[in-house]
Amino acid sequence: MAPILSSDELERYDRQILIHEIGMAGQEKLKKASVLICGAGGLGSPAAIYLAAAGVGRITLIDYDQVALSNLNRQILHGEADIGRWKVDSAKEKLGKLNSHLILRISTVRINDENAVEWVTGQDVILDALDNLATRYALNKAAQEMGVVFIHGAVNGFEGRALTVIPGQSACLRCLHRSAAPETGKFPVIGVTPALIGVIQATEAIKYLTGIGELLADRLVVYDGLKAKWSEFKVKKNPECDHCGRPPERKTP
Amino acid sequence: MSVMVNIHKTHRQYTSGQETVPVNGDTVGDCLNDLIERFPQMKTALWDGKGRLKNQIEIYVNMESAYPDELKKKVRPGDEIHITVMLAGG
Repeated sequence: MAPILSSDELERYDRQILIHEIGMAGQEKLKKASVLICGAGGLGSPAAIYLAAAGVGRITLIDYDQVALSNLNRQILHGEADIGRWKVDSAKEKLGKLNSHLILRISTVRINDENAVEWVTGQDVILDALDNLATRYALNKAAQEMGVVFIHGAVNGFEGRALTVIPGQSACLRCLHRSAAPETGKFPVIGVTPALIGVIQATEAIKYLTGIGELLADRLVVYDGLKAKWSEFKVKKNPECDHCGRPPERKTP
Repeated sequence: MSVMVNIHKTHRQYTSGQETVPVNGDTVGDCLNDLIERFPQMKTALWDGKGRLKNQIEIYVNMESAYPDELKKKVRPGDEIHITVMLAGG
C-alpha cells in the first residue's frame, strides 16, 4: 500500500509531526479530512490559510461575494488586484500557491435552509466563518441533523467569540438564543479580531480531526481585544432546542 | 452584599461608562429591573417592544448561561451577572 504522506509532505509538515499529540498518525488524519469553510472573509481567510498550511486534505470554501476595497482591512486572502473578483476565486489562487497538495473545491452558492444539508453532507467539520446570523442558523441546523461538528466564530469591533458544537453532545448555536437578532448591516471590525477568532476555529478543527486536546464544547470563549482578556462562559444544551433537541440522526444523502 | 452586573461594552454608554454595577434582587429579572431603575436607558437596550429580553441579549450568572429562563434564575448576594450580546460579524 502506498504511504499516505509523500516524502515532500513529510518534510513540509516535519515541525508539526514533531508535536507529540499530532505525530504521523495525526498528520495522516489531517490529510484524509474534509472541511467546509463557509465564508472567505475576515474569519474564513485566516482559517483557510492555516488549515491549508497544516495539511488538511480537502477544503470546500463557499462565499457568494466579490472582493471590495473595504474588505481588505481584514480579509487577508485578498489584495488590491482582487477587487471585483469572486472571493473564492481569489482564495483559490492564494491557497493553491500556499499548498499544492490541497484539494480545494469552491462555490459561490448562497447557503440557506434548503441547501445547507447538501453542503454539510460528507464533511468532517464545518467552520462558520459567516457574516450573518440567518445563514449561521441554517448551517448549525444542518450540521446537527447530519451529525457534523460545527465550529462557530463571530466578531464585532475588538470583540470575538468561538464555540465548538459536537452534535448530540454539546450545546449548539441555537441553544444560546431564542432566535436570530435583526441584521444590522455593516458591522465595525478591525482585522486582528477575526484573525484571532479564525485561527481559534482552525485550531479547534485540527484538534477535532486529530482527536487531541480539549474542545470548546459547551464553552463559549469571548475575547475582548481592548482589554486583552479572554472570558469563558459555560453553555448547556437546551433540551427544547429546535435544532438539536432530538438525538441527531445521520441522514442518507 | 449585592449582585454585580457586568455591562457589555456597547451598553456602557447607558451606564455612564460603568463596566460593573452593583444591584439588588433575588432573581436575574429583579436585578435587571434594579439596573434599569438606576440607568433607565438600559431598558431599551435589554427589552423588546413586548417586554421580553431582546434576542441578541445573553445573560450569564457566575459565568454560566442562564438561558432559556434567564429572568426567573435565582441569584444570591455575591453572584455575578454578565450581560453580553450575540455577535454576527465575520
